[in-house]
Amino acid sequence: MNSNDEQIRAAIADQASEWFVAHEEGPMDARDSAALAAWFMTSPVHIEEFLGVSVVARGLKEIRTNPEYSLEAILARASDDEARPVQGLWPRVIEAVRKTPSGRWFPATMAMTVVVGLGLLFTWNLRPTGRPAGTAGIATRYFETRHGEQLTQRLADNSVLHLNTDSAVSVRYSKSERLVTLISGQAEFEVAHEANRVFRVHAGYAEVIDIGTEFDVRLEPGSTVVTVVEGRVAVGAQNSNPNQAVRSIELAANQQIRVADGALPAAPVAADAGRTTSWLHRQIAFDHEPLERVAAEYNRYTSKPFVIATQALRTLRISGVFATDDTDAFIAFLRSLKGVRVEMTENRILVSGD
Amino acid sequence: MACVTMAAAEPKLSLVERLFADHRGALQTFLLRRVRAKADVADLAQEVYLRMLRVSDQDAIRNPVHYLYTVANNLVKEHAVIERRRASSIDIDEAPAHEQLKMLPAFDGDLDAAQRGLRLGTVLQQLRPKCRAAMELRFARDLSYREIAMHLGVSPQMAKKYVAQGLSHCRRRMAQLG
Repeated sequence: MNSNDEQIRAAIADQASEWFVAHEEGPMDARDSAALAAWFMTSPVHIEEFLGVSVVARGLKEIRTNPEYSLEAILARASDDEARPVQGLWPRVIEAVRKTPSGRWFPATMAMTVVVGLGLLFTWNLRPTGRPAGTAGIATRYFETRHGEQLTQRLADNSVLHLNTDSAVSVRYSKSERLVTLISGQAEFEVAHEANRVFRVHAGYAEVIDIGTEFDVRLEPGSTVVTVVEGRVAVGAQNSNPNQAVRSIELAANQQIRVADGALPAAPVAADAGRTTSWLHRQIAFDHEPLERVAAEYNRYTSKPFVIATQALRTLRISGVFATDDTDAFIAFLRSLKGVRVEMTENRILVSGD
Repeated sequence: MACVTMAAAEPKLSLVERLFADHRGALQTFLLRRVRAKADVADLAQEVYLRMLRVSDQDAIRNPVHYLYTVANNLVKEHAVIERRRASSIDIDEAPAHEQLKMLPAFDGDLDAAQRGLRLGTVLQQLRPKCRAAMELRFARDLSYREIAMHLGVSPQMAKKYVAQGLSHCRRRMAQLG
């Protein structure tokens, strides 16, 4: 099975698992049942994966008598706090090379994890702050991805940080707060709730205060977009005057807000958080969006950018789910569209009309 | 294909419960034993799919999962009948007898289950701690999502998400190991 097949399989297994959980939880309403039936009837592979998922659940039932699966043992493992990188769903080779602006590095700690057979490899560094080591309860860590890379990292408090392509964050935990600064790009946070230590994200013009949740933050030129996947967050605008009272606005799941310089909109807008965070699965999802936008999104991941040569094509609406690291599939898709030509040159992928 | 009738007011049972209650036997045995023989499961899925497409009365699929298991279960039974008939004749396309013997578990289900348990254990270790715990609490300890959420300090929604992610990961890994 090549990696493309494998990715499609994995995406189907995800869907199968979601359906399995939804069904297994209790009776589904008529609409969901119809949707599930339709999903089954889309492809035999859907059925196969669903059966496969059932087998896993069954397997867990089977080993319930093993003392390793006693309630106590399970919970003890869950609270295991050892800092080690989390394996993403589709791990790939990641070599994070970090440079501070000054170019100087003090790797206080370096850990390396090699997941055999998967080739997942990345290193992390702990960079001491200016403080003496004795008070180093506070340390800043940096995580960075290059073009086309992604990174998933579990933080000391068990929160999980997912970093998209071309992104950088600094993470600074103190006794009273957990502060993450999104320096560039896009990140998703699964925040572990801590009643007396707030989780705060600074990102361009926006400040996000977590109220126990999962959310996505993306820096765009001139604005910051915050999308809540689950739970609630408070978003405030950061501006140049620190004394000015800061208004903040609360966002719930599937709501999004775009914050420009000091300007916080009156209300959030509805958004499909699943689509915003499709990058977590190395996918980009579009629903009826102009090709220009889709190409720009793709260009965040590809080595050769897509360039749309014909003006009229820029507004062509397309829908679909694409793998971020499978340019060929996207090109094939474009070629299947009527009146669209795709030409590969040495440093770009030229999309034009007939 | 006979239409599957579904009781209008089914008692609320979890899928796994139902899987065992209604479809104990053929399908379970088939799926659990043949996790490795991917082609078998793919063929089964293909056949279930075709039968589903042939259903004219969409109402019969009011509970699609139940329907899926029922159809699959029937197919496996039919398959078993055919296999038994075939076994009495000699098929030169079949793998040599000693090859087949290697596939047979020495002590029927037990050894198989132990092996599967080990494998699943290995795959579970690859999950992040909370995700793994959520899955184990759900299926090995039968906790509700609300209870899991309380234990793990996350929302019930998140607990569900962990379970789905965990299932998907394990499913893919188990398939690859196969």
